[in-house]
Amino acid sequence: MKIAISSTGSTLSANVAAQFGTAEYMMIIDLDTGDLEAVPNPGKGQQRGAGIQAVMLAVNNGANTVLTGYCNPAIGRQFESGGIEIVTGISGTVAETVQSFKNRRVKGTDANPDQPAGEASKTENKKYFNAARTALRQLVNILPIMISIVLLIGLFNTFISKQMLASIFSGNPLIDNFLGACFGSFFTGNPINSYIIGGELLKHGVGLVAVTAFVIAWVTVGLIQLPAEMTALGRRFAVLRNFLSFLMAIIVAFLTVSVLSLAGSVS
Amino acid sequence: MNDKNEQKQSSMRQYLKGSILFPILVLVLYGILFLTNPDKAWPALKNSVSILQSLLIPLCLVFVLIFVINLFLNPAKVAKYLGKTSGLKGAVLSATAGVISVGPIYAWYPLLKDLKEKGAADSSIAIFLNNRAIKPFLLPIMIAYFGLLFVIVLTVLMIVASFAIGYVLSIFMDINRPKCTD
Repeated sequence: MKIAISSTGSTLSANVAAQFGTAEYMMIIDLDTGDLEAVPNPGKGQQRGAGIQAVMLAVNNGANTVLTGYCNPAIGRQFESGGIEIVTGISGTVAETVQSFKNRRVKGTDANPDQPAGEASKTENKKYFNAARTALRQLVNILPIMISIVLLIGLFNTFISKQMLASIFSGNPLIDNFLGACFGSFFTGNPINSYIIGGELLKHGVGLVAVTAFVIAWVTVGLIQLPAEMTALGRRFAVLRNFLSFLMAIIVAFLTVSVLSLAGSVS
Repeated sequence: MNDKNEQKQSSMRQYLKGSILFPILVLVLYGILFLTNPDKAWPALKNSVSILQSLLIPLCLVFVLIFVINLFLNPAKVAKYLGKTSGLKGAVLSATAGVISVGPIYAWYPLLKDLKEKGAADSSIAIFLNNRAIKPFLLPIMIAYFGLLFVIVLTVLMIVASFAIGYVLSIFMDINRPKCTD
């Protein structure tokens, strides 16, 4: 059995970190073999996304239980749904924590020693509740930008006539496809917004090839986040991937519309 | 390391700023329009409201789908899939991880960087990034606009295309690797 302890240093005498996500190190201890490994926490000093990186670290190192001072409830739920036990409120040194954890196991006492019979169904309910809450949050996160885009489309529909659009998207599939991919590459965001914009463009008479290329490039090609991608994954990788994805957007758009017209659903 | 962290944070901050700034700009635009040209502003607003109404039922379905996906999957499991990368199995797992991944791309870059440093293949990361375009929980919206057949054809083609990109990319990365000094 492996346990992970968030700590302020890389030795057994280091203190247990007060915050899980932003701790300096994560100590991975194999209780069966006594092996100990100090892994630097990639989320150290970060404000957002730190917790989830630490969760991945614990999961990737095969921890069964995580011990820490505090971790926010959202992160705690990630652990619970991943089948990892999380124990918070820990203080003192790593060595003390390991010892007291071992004692607890030897005595056979659990974190909740007097677990009532109804507890199992309660955790089951909690799981559904958590999933619903996360779903709601994810949906609410999408909404501000989505509603703004719909509002912009409202303006667009009022001010831009079909003729004006037709002067950009001429109906030549080759040029339209390329233009659609260009627009999609430049703008970016949640895919839902590309569906809405694309769908509205379609209603305005823009060709399906252009709209398809736009929808594909929206997520797969990102000029705006290119600098961030280069920083994270290397310049060559990022440029090459975006370039290939741009080409692929054009090709897939053609293929999609060809397949559909073969199937007879596009006139 | 600190430099990189700061860069990471500043790109994240930019993203957050963008996600607040954009709605504000749109509202300001409407404000100006209502003052200068109310005859056009009303139809624009009505048009937007009718679009939102048509999205209402698909959005409810989206909620249900996110709920179901949340019950069975979480980022920790996605990371498990992505960590293992070998051959066809690795490609399929990366694609799956990409499809089920949620959240803004900026939240994923640090993790991908970490995985790359740990030896995840370039092709796997490219496949992951390209499959983020396919979102099962958004399918109701996509179907509402484009129809079921279109969605099926496009989805299949995009998954195939992501594999092709991963393959071609890894060839190019390998060709140039010995000459590369960084």
